[in-house]
Amino acid sequence: MFDLSLLSQAIDEGDREKTLKLTTEALEAGVNPQEIIAQGLQAGMAIVGEKFSSGEYFLPDMLMAARAMKAALEVLKPALEKTGMPTIGRVVIGTVEGDMHDIGKNVVATFLSGNGFEVFDLGLNVPVQRFIQEVKEKKPDILGMSALLTTTMPVMGKVIEALKEAGLRSQVKVIVGGAPVTQEYANYIGADGYAHDGGKAVPVCRELVGK
Amino acid sequence: MEMTQKQRILAAARGEPVDKLPFGARIDVWYNYHSAHDTLPEKYRGWGQVDILRDLGAGAQLRLFSVVKEEYRDMEVVERHEPPYIITEYHTPLGTVAKKEILDKSEGSWVKYEMEKIFKSERDYPIIKYILEHTVPVDNFEAYHKARAEVGEDGLVMSAAGGLWCPVQRVMREFMGYELFFYELADRPARVEELIETMQELERKKFQVAIKCDLELFNICANWSDDIHTPVFRKYFVPWLREASDFLHAHGRLAMAHTDGEMRRLNPMFRETGIDIAEAITPAPQTLVTMKEFRRELGDEVTIWGGIPSILFEPMYSDEDFDNYIKNMFREMAPGYRFIVGMGDNLPFDGDINRVRRVVELIDQYGKLPIEV
Repeated sequence: MFDLSLLSQAIDEGDREKTLKLTTEALEAGVNPQEIIAQGLQAGMAIVGEKFSSGEYFLPDMLMAARAMKAALEVLKPALEKTGMPTIGRVVIGTVEGDMHDIGKNVVATFLSGNGFEVFDLGLNVPVQRFIQEVKEKKPDILGMSALLTTTMPVMGKVIEALKEAGLRSQVKVIVGGAPVTQEYANYIGADGYAHDGGKAVPVCRELVGK
Repeated sequence: MEMTQKQRILAAARGEPVDKLPFGARIDVWYNYHSAHDTLPEKYRGWGQVDILRDLGAGAQLRLFSVVKEEYRDMEVVERHEPPYIITEYHTPLGTVAKKEILDKSEGSWVKYEMEKIFKSERDYPIIKYILEHTVPVDNFEAYHKARAEVGEDGLVMSAAGGLWCPVQRVMREFMGYELFFYELADRPARVEELIETMQELERKKFQVAIKCDLELFNICANWSDDIHTPVFRKYFVPWLREASDFLHAHGRLAMAHTDGEMRRLNPMFRETGIDIAEAITPAPQTLVTMKEFRRELGDEVTIWGGIPSILFEPMYSDEDFDNYIKNMFREMAPGYRFIVGMGDNLPFDGDINRVRRVVELIDQYGKLPIEV
């Protein structure tokens, strides 16, 4: 019987090569790909997330783990063709218009996809109407917006207003983040969630989708 | 005779006695935005930002990217404009690398953002190393003297020898980008280290040029934040910052870092760097650290410059909230030595300029040293 805890451990170590090797071996041993993801990869990401929250790990540790997970998912892709990739929620994410910063947004997108969310990353400098269009088309559970600048922070409020005008506000939860953004500011503009950093985004999004 | 703004700021930076809290304000984001959109308040149309700060009674921080410029030898550097992008190609005997930038003037800070970094893959290491080895620092003193004349005794020119970043940060932020830097450091540590060392050699040359001007304090590292992995910070940042600080101290100058990010995990290492001033300190509610905690973590030998998070200037905070925040900040920083009041890190474009004057009034009322609680 294949020990999937070894895979969790490889993710925890951020070791891409080891993760790939163990994923391949698990597949060859006949382990169900869904099981590999849930009990191996996602379990590993959960450990990394906990260590980040407790202060033991840093953002780059999470990046390395997410990179290992992403590589493993590529290996699993053909085996998942029939069932599809299991997801716990759909997220559209982007940095708002006028803002060219994307480190934080990229980190959040990476962690979310590493934790089982299906993520559509719109990139940076995303116009208000593009967010609206993507919400209409992709029907996400969550819309994530990031702003690094106090100059661009108010654009997040404009997107929320535009969602209301388009009659979409009740269909999607909105989460915001970025260096100058605070919980107070998130409340002020009417967002549903706020994450101070990439590590916090995962539990906040899980809560928003009720998982 | 009353101290000038410049004297007061420099005295606090050196740990010398001052009569009241110095205030070195930064309003370039607000100023540039409203200048570009022709929305400066009626009174200030056609004014420079230093003149506005003079009018408000605040000391000025006048930013100059660097007192040193870079020139390139034995390569061809071609800049092409393909709106909205500026593409710069470096043609060297070892090959060509290119970066794609965008200059966005709508936001106010007017800096170029790299949409495509110069480093893209392993093949670029020797080419970038060649560029750094064939970059020659020359003085930018004409621009510096102009800025110094503009600010006079009413504040300080804030500048650097090498620009915004320290060497490892330049590799991380400017050349590779955050994520790729950490992937490369994991996959090819020796090559990354070689690039950092080459970058440090260039920075040493820049300091030799820069020290010939009379800039009192040098920014040696910008935009500190906890996203800089702490073990990486200790291994690659601290030794360089220590070297740069020691060099400046040996020449009677001060070292400053622009520390406007989340500093919870970096604060304990600050004193290892020998840096004199932690500038643009941004406390709660914008970050997780209070001013009292900053003072405790950084100790009494480091001058704290900052304390007012930029969001406090936003309309969501009332005038009363603002006053209460400032008064509480004074209490937290009592007795107030080695403290320069400032923004973390700028007046936002929709911030209230009148609150800059309000800070001056509150300092006059409550900021005489020593502050008694």
